[in-house]
Amino acid sequence: MRRLLHYLNPIENLGNRDYTTIFPALGTTLSAVILEIVARYLLKNPESVGLPAIFIFIALIIYFSFRKGIRGGFASAIVTIIYYLYIIFTRNYSGKQLNSGLETTLILAILYCFLATVIGWLKQMIDGLIEREADERKRLQDIIEQLPVGVIIANSQGIIVQSNNQIEKILGISIPIGFKLGSKLLLESKRNGNIFEPADGPLARAVKTGQSTLGEEITITRNDQQKRHLRVSTTAIQNKDADIIAAASIVSDITEQKEVESRKDDFISMASHELKTPLTSMKLYIEALKSQTKKFNDSKVEAITFNIVKQTLRLQKLVDDLLDVSRLQTGKLSFTFEKFLINELLAEVIEMLQVSTNNHKITIKNHEQILIDADRFRIYQVLTNLINNAIKYSPNGTDINIFLEKDQSNLIITVQDFGIGISEDQHEKIFERLYQAADDTEKTFPGFGMGLYISKEIILRHGGKIWVESTKGKGSKFYFSLSLGGEK
Amino acid sequence: MNKKILIVDDDLAILDAISLILIESNYDVRTESSGNQVVEKVITYEPQLILIDVLISGQDGRTICKILKNNDQTKNIPIVMISAHPSAKESSSKFGADDFLSKPFELDDLLSIIEKHIH
Repeated sequence: MRRLLHYLNPIENLGNRDYTTIFPALGTTLSAVILEIVARYLLKNPESVGLPAIFIFIALIIYFSFRKGIRGGFASAIVTIIYYLYIIFTRNYSGKQLNSGLETTLILAILYCFLATVIGWLKQMIDGLIEREADERKRLQDIIEQLPVGVIIANSQGIIVQSNNQIEKILGISIPIGFKLGSKLLLESKRNGNIFEPADGPLARAVKTGQSTLGEEITITRNDQQKRHLRVSTTAIQNKDADIIAAASIVSDITEQKEVESRKDDFISMASHELKTPLTSMKLYIEALKSQTKKFNDSKVEAITFNIVKQTLRLQKLVDDLLDVSRLQTGKLSFTFEKFLINELLAEVIEMLQVSTNNHKITIKNHEQILIDADRFRIYQVLTNLINNAIKYSPNGTDINIFLEKDQSNLIITVQDFGIGISEDQHEKIFERLYQAADDTEKTFPGFGMGLYISKEIILRHGGKIWVESTKGKGSKFYFSLSLGGEK
Repeated sequence: MNKKILIVDDDLAILDAISLILIESNYDVRTESSGNQVVEKVITYEPQLILIDVLISGQDGRTICKILKNNDQTKNIPIVMISAHPSAKESSSKFGADDFLSKPFELDDLLSIIEKHIH
């Protein structure tokens, strides 16, 4: 439509000013009047003057039209010429007819003037609209360009329609607009340590399958050999019929963050190993001390030694937890599965923990023998953590109940306490790394917030689940499930 | 005569603490804090058991273990490796160690592992 109007438009835009309407109309009228007068004169004596004079005149109009770059003038000339050629070659020329010819010409000129005006308005309106749309587009482009994250957008054919400066900086390449996804742009891309093909990249996949991803982590090797860690969120954009019309990825470079994380994990691992050596000699010295104190038979010294032992064990537990967390982070925590009776393990844990508290009574509510296939030490750790928490978070001392239930395929163990409880909004968070629940007065309990995180990871690696049901002030029930591999 | 045990570790507190305990338990104990003189010490002292830490500054405990196990004079002496890395257990047996003790260990673990190898 716009193109059609452009060609119909009687005048070009000259600079910013629009001469659309009035000049070609005037030109048309004037040329029609002059042509009419000339034709009248010529046709009274057509043989003597002849057609060449008309053509010279027309040629002049065409020349001026072009020289001024005025398409309208040219158009006027053509219309007028066609009209006169028509009357010259088809009519029997008499003064009467010529009069009506003049009238017709004037009417045509006025019509043309009117038409040109309307066309001019239309064109201006459409140009305005197009300009506004272009402005919007430009503004959007500017925003995308200046975003602090990499942005790359592909259409439904997987052709890149937009990308910004930041993405080129991150990937270390320039991405040509019109580039088709699926061709190699980088040396190598990895997801979870496995190389993937460009056709399987997040954006290509979103275009193909409509699959959106949030915060996917990818490692790339750029063409300059640099390795970068990226976090990519991709979304497929669909129209109301659910057809994929485009897909967009937002990419941030998390290389430095990753390095800091890995240094932190290395540090934790190293620190806990370094802590283990003095801990070992401390424990041995304590043993030596214990045998010495026996000789003195002094109850005060024995009580002090007992406390040293208790604190050393606490320190050891913290070091072990730290090391476990760091192993979980680096995926180095290994498991050894064996078949054992969960009841026996539970009895062992309870016996050990019951000694540490006089205020709580720990009871198993079910004594059925249940054989499971799991890592005995790790399950011991989970039970110890859960029961220890039950003790720790019920400072006013009450019962701690343990239930063993099983269905066809799973064993569910429940540790119930009647302590401070956990508000609903913290039910998920308490299983996160280094998260610690606080009570009403925001007083935190001693510890690092590692126990439940480690327990969750251990249970997950066993293919089980761990969760909590709790009401603030009324105590908590911690559940975990394990598959009954041993009874299949 | 008391059974002879050689302890090799670069951490002096560990050497001291283990000696203290083992002497208390009626063992004859010698210590060595540098990896370089272990072989000579073993040949002259003739221990019934050697405890070696995996990470010793100067020389890897596992290398010392391998050297001792490749020497006809020393290859029959049981070697227990000690480390804070539980993963060092596998590599220790690859280098010929007879047993492994993970730090921090209980006194009972130490004594029972020693008794297991010294009859």
